[in-house]
Amino acid sequence: MDLLTFMQQMVNGFSLGSMYALIAIGYTMVYGVLRLINFAHGDIMMVGAFLAYAFISIFNLPFAFAVLLSVVISALVGILTDKIAYKPLREAPRISLLITAIGISFFLENAFTVFAGGIPRPFPVPEYMQNIFNVSGIIFSTSSIMVPIVTLVLLLAILFVLYKTKYGMAIRALSFDIKTVNLMGIDANKIISIVFALGSALAAVGGIFWVINYPSVEPMMGVLVGLKAFAAAVVGGIGSVTGAVLGGFIIGFTEVVVVAFFPDLAGYKDAFAFVFLIFVLLFKPTGIMGKDLEKSRF
Amino acid sequence: MRKIIGLSVATALTCTMALAKEINVGLILPMSGAIAAYGQNAEVGVKLAHKLQPKLNNGDKINLILIDNKGDKVETANAATRLISSDKVVALLGPMISTNTAQVISIAEKKHVPVIAPAATNDKLTMRKMYANRVCFTDSFQGSVVANYALKQNKKKAVVIVDQATVYSLGLSKAFKNTYTKGGGKILKKIRITSGDKDYKAIISQIKKLNPDIIFLPLYHPEASMIARQAKELGLKTTMISGDGVANQTFIDLGGDAVNGYLYTDAFDYTNPPTKKSAEFIKAYQKQTGSNALNAFSALGADTYNLLVNAMNKCEDPTNSKCINKEIKNTKKFEAVTGIISIDKEGNAIKSAVIKEIVNGKPVYKATVNP
Repeated sequence: MDLLTFMQQMVNGFSLGSMYALIAIGYTMVYGVLRLINFAHGDIMMVGAFLAYAFISIFNLPFAFAVLLSVVISALVGILTDKIAYKPLREAPRISLLITAIGISFFLENAFTVFAGGIPRPFPVPEYMQNIFNVSGIIFSTSSIMVPIVTLVLLLAILFVLYKTKYGMAIRALSFDIKTVNLMGIDANKIISIVFALGSALAAVGGIFWVINYPSVEPMMGVLVGLKAFAAAVVGGIGSVTGAVLGGFIIGFTEVVVVAFFPDLAGYKDAFAFVFLIFVLLFKPTGIMGKDLEKSRF
Repeated sequence: MRKIIGLSVATALTCTMALAKEINVGLILPMSGAIAAYGQNAEVGVKLAHKLQPKLNNGDKINLILIDNKGDKVETANAATRLISSDKVVALLGPMISTNTAQVISIAEKKHVPVIAPAATNDKLTMRKMYANRVCFTDSFQGSVVANYALKQNKKKAVVIVDQATVYSLGLSKAFKNTYTKGGGKILKKIRITSGDKDYKAIISQIKKLNPDIIFLPLYHPEASMIARQAKELGLKTTMISGDGVANQTFIDLGGDAVNGYLYTDAFDYTNPPTKKSAEFIKAYQKQTGSNALNAFSALGADTYNLLVNAMNKCEDPTNSKCINKEIKNTKKFEAVTGIISIDKEGNAIKSAVIKEIVNGKPVYKATVNP
């Protein structure tokens, strides 16, 4: 393989991995606080993309405003799912929460199928996002540069919130013990809402980037991406935000590398993300960045 | 006296009923769900054909009973069973995709009820089946049409992108390979993908290195449109060609600018009506909808109905399913909306295909290829 193709594949992997990373952060944060794998998270990503689509195509809002609005509303949807579905089960066994999460996932998918139909719709990508740059043979699009930058900025922002603010301290405290935190005069439900809002907002950003790169919006779009982002979160070490980002990049690069070096296996590239997941679970169940699960969070 | 009047009224009623019967015909289509676009288009065609010709030559009225199968396997099987056992239909029209059609055929075969499929192209569907028929071409014919067309354009090096998860894609790529290599073409590489995936940039970077003359994509529209888009983004300018899996507006909507220059095979082109019957049908369609852009699936839907009525007219008892099936298979040079159709012993339609190119977001007729 020549250097040019290699560099091109690296660019492809970088942009794909960033999108998994954005979605993986949400999995990891909710898990860190509630010990819940929120399987509805991939569908929140779909909700974000659909809202952006609706605001732009149906209500004709300007792109930036539509994105902002859909990110905010997705955050509210995240809070709402927590209040309706997970809050009544705080004292219930973890398995009930997990089943509820799957139920919410099916509900969102089917609700959007009823409203929007199953036919994929083209996402109206603004002109300036479609610009193509050719740097001595390696081809970038605006979005393939923007996605990694936005991911890193958002990662820093999340780390700032977690380690430098009062709320972040509360979130970290919550991840140790919800009951004790309640005794310390912290409103645990409020803090959990913040976690869901942050995670869902990131998922919405990921979803919007996803449809900018692959402009087709449909109710089932979050399923496979959500599963891969979940794999990314586990590979990176579920509960660790930096780990989630790292895991996202690993999964993204794996997919690209499989196609680049073993073209005959291209049809099985999805499987590799999950093979990775199985190996990590076998040999280092806490993931790459995961520390001892019961001692430290984020 | 009263008794006599009552009796004569009753006799009169039964007589008129015996004179003009109502015959049930079952219609199974995906009206909702992921492939609803296919089913809704076909429904328009069947309903319009029924409106134009609601009665048989002997005056019997045809009653269409539509059931939505949602593109789902279980729903399809339920619909077929219900139509045959409780609605007593004499024949079944539909459904759209090959997977669902196989289910309808296996149920209808046991009950000796003929099926006419509008758009299921998989080769194996009609093999060793007595009651399975279709008005569309098969994948092997479609694949060879594409291969011959590519060879004629002097495009001798091809890359094939196969979706290993659909029977349609596997069958079509095999047919393409046979004709293409026999005709002196060379397949540089066969790349496997899985439907549902969105990111093909790594694959496209690979193809760029291979530098083929043409790329054959036997795929459905969600995957093909994403590949076309990302190819444009990465500067891959090779001509792409597909089968009828991309022959719909959603493909152009999803692909945007990137699908300009894209070639594909289709069953029918409304700007070039192949028969007098199709020109008439397009006129009726325009009267009803205000547009003459008759979709290929609507045209094929109309053909299933017209072919059935033609066969029923030839039977002395138009409710005899065995006779109807025999007459369907005896159809020769039938003037249909999509062209002249003959049905062979296996129930396959022998007919021509159309090649189209997308120019400025509109499908443009390029050529007709005869079998």
